[in-house]
Amino acid sequence: MRPILLQGHERSLTQIKFNQEGDLLFSCSKDHIINVWFSHNGERLGTYHGHNGTVWTIDVDAQSRFLISGSADNEMRLWDVQTGKCLFVWEFPTAVKRVTFSDDDDQVVCITEQRMGYQGAIRIFHINRDGDGTQQSLEPVSMFHPIGSKATVCAFPYMPGLILTGHESGKIALFDARSGEEVLSNERAHLDVVTDLQLSADRSYFITSSKDKTARIHDAKTLTVLKTFQTETPLNSAALAPNMPYVLLGGGQEAMSVTTTSLRQGKFEARFWHRVFEEEVGRVKGHFGPLNTIAVHPAGTAYASGGEDGFVRVHHFDESYFKARPYGEVEILD
Amino acid sequence: MAAAIHKTSWADDVEGLDQSKGEDYIDENGIRTIVEYAINDEGKKVKIIRRIKRTLQKSLVEHAVAERKTWAKFGLEKGNKPGPDRATTTVGETVYLKLTPGNKAAETELSEQQALKATLSKAGAGKVVCRICKGDHFTAKCPYKDSLAGLDNIETPPLAADSDADAPAPAAAPAAGGPSKYVPPSMRNRGPGESMSRPGGSRDDLPTLRVTNISEDTQENDLRELFGSFGRVARVYVGRDRDTGVGKGFAFVSFEDRAVAQRAMEKMHGRGYDSLILKRTVVP
Repeated sequence: MRPILLQGHERSLTQIKFNQEGDLLFSCSKDHIINVWFSHNGERLGTYHGHNGTVWTIDVDAQSRFLISGSADNEMRLWDVQTGKCLFVWEFPTAVKRVTFSDDDDQVVCITEQRMGYQGAIRIFHINRDGDGTQQSLEPVSMFHPIGSKATVCAFPYMPGLILTGHESGKIALFDARSGEEVLSNERAHLDVVTDLQLSADRSYFITSSKDKTARIHDAKTLTVLKTFQTETPLNSAALAPNMPYVLLGGGQEAMSVTTTSLRQGKFEARFWHRVFEEEVGRVKGHFGPLNTIAVHPAGTAYASGGEDGFVRVHHFDESYFKARPYGEVEILD
Repeated sequence: MAAAIHKTSWADDVEGLDQSKGEDYIDENGIRTIVEYAINDEGKKVKIIRRIKRTLQKSLVEHAVAERKTWAKFGLEKGNKPGPDRATTTVGETVYLKLTPGNKAAETELSEQQALKATLSKAGAGKVVCRICKGDHFTAKCPYKDSLAGLDNIETPPLAADSDADAPAPAAAPAAGGPSKYVPPSMRNRGPGESMSRPGGSRDDLPTLRVTNISEDTQENDLRELFGSFGRVARVYVGRDRDTGVGKGFAFVSFEDRAVAQRAMEKMHGRGYDSLILKRTVVP
């Protein structure tokens, strides 16, 4: 397969995301702007300007109408996907590290950093979808401070009223969205920072990646670890490949030690692991630095990776990917 | 098309015009052929033929997706024509994804050192034998380097060594050196480890005492002074650590006269010097 290289950013990528249909790919980076691309040919549709700091995180709603972004300039912004206009700005005392839409697009959860005397906080906002989207409430529906280790990633699982979080200590937890109480937790899910959390299509299970060199699939309700993928480098991102029994892992050693190691040793490759057998089945080379973020097309026909090198590479899978049966005929239905 | 043709000079103008037109037609199979002439970097005129076949691929997409394709560009892309811009979108080199079972981590996880060893053993250098202790490591890394190396060479009487060497040398030489290794005549019939230690033969003839159990600080001049009272000292060598320069507690003292050496040995054996009891033996 021939990857499409997207050079829209001048600094390292922080997150990339496909929309619901997979025709648009959003990317954000440390250079303050957000790009949106057509995934089929790599054409850039537009850019979103307004943030004055590293854009750490983005998410798009299911209708591809609103885009939400969180940045190091302490702002969370709501954008109109079609025109690139900023519709609303929320301001916080500290940087926004993660934002995610709920599955019904009505709510947004965001994590703000613990810094300068402020506690790390998880806030849930209601998104007013009526009108042009500029009428939003500044007040969160709910807000709480997770005690102990600070949260790094979050998501809405399929259970209503709960927030799923991954923490710096490696903990995975479920919080009550209203009261902020910790409902359930798995303290030993990982041994180091949880770097990414991506839900399956039905939100019943999810994959996490961590600096402890493992990626794990967990059950969303019980938080039990279902599968573990042990690699040899710290991982920055993990994604589930829909319709195929694979997971995609991306990582590489720390950006600070990149210049002292060779390209081959750095493991700057997207790794394909078999979901069931927990074995590596393939790798894709290309990036010149660690992979910071991986996203898979919702139909499972393509994947994109964003690296520390500032490139986004979009790969449309060949026929051979869909035909390959590395372990014989094993039917896995998603 | 015509704009792409560079005119070299006014003289070429007329000539260039009739050729430079090129051709552009579409045949019955729907293949468009474009013939054009251009001048390349070397100044030569070249004919470029391009055959293009266009096929329309239809795919069903959702309404929302189709609608989004018609959206006007915005931000930095505002006003740009549809289609990927080369400045931001390029096609990379083909990469291959081969999905195979088996743990790739285990296969490719050779560290640099292991990889080196693997290539070495592949090249036939897998058998590393220490010349000192016959162990499975390089001679330079032998743990007995300091103790065994000196003792063996010294305590073997030269006569015995010579007679030994005569018999096994022809058989041993090809085995040790390998079939392709050339050994200069001056280096042949030498025991391992001896080749470099004594470049000149003359020193071997001098009567030499080995002095052990001397203190670390002992210098050549100290020993010269000490043994000078018995007669002329030809050479003093103090064994030192290569890196630190600290004495290793042994020295060789060569005399010019064998009788002097004998006397020195008898007198000095067991004597205290610098708080240690000296021990000495004759090096034959």
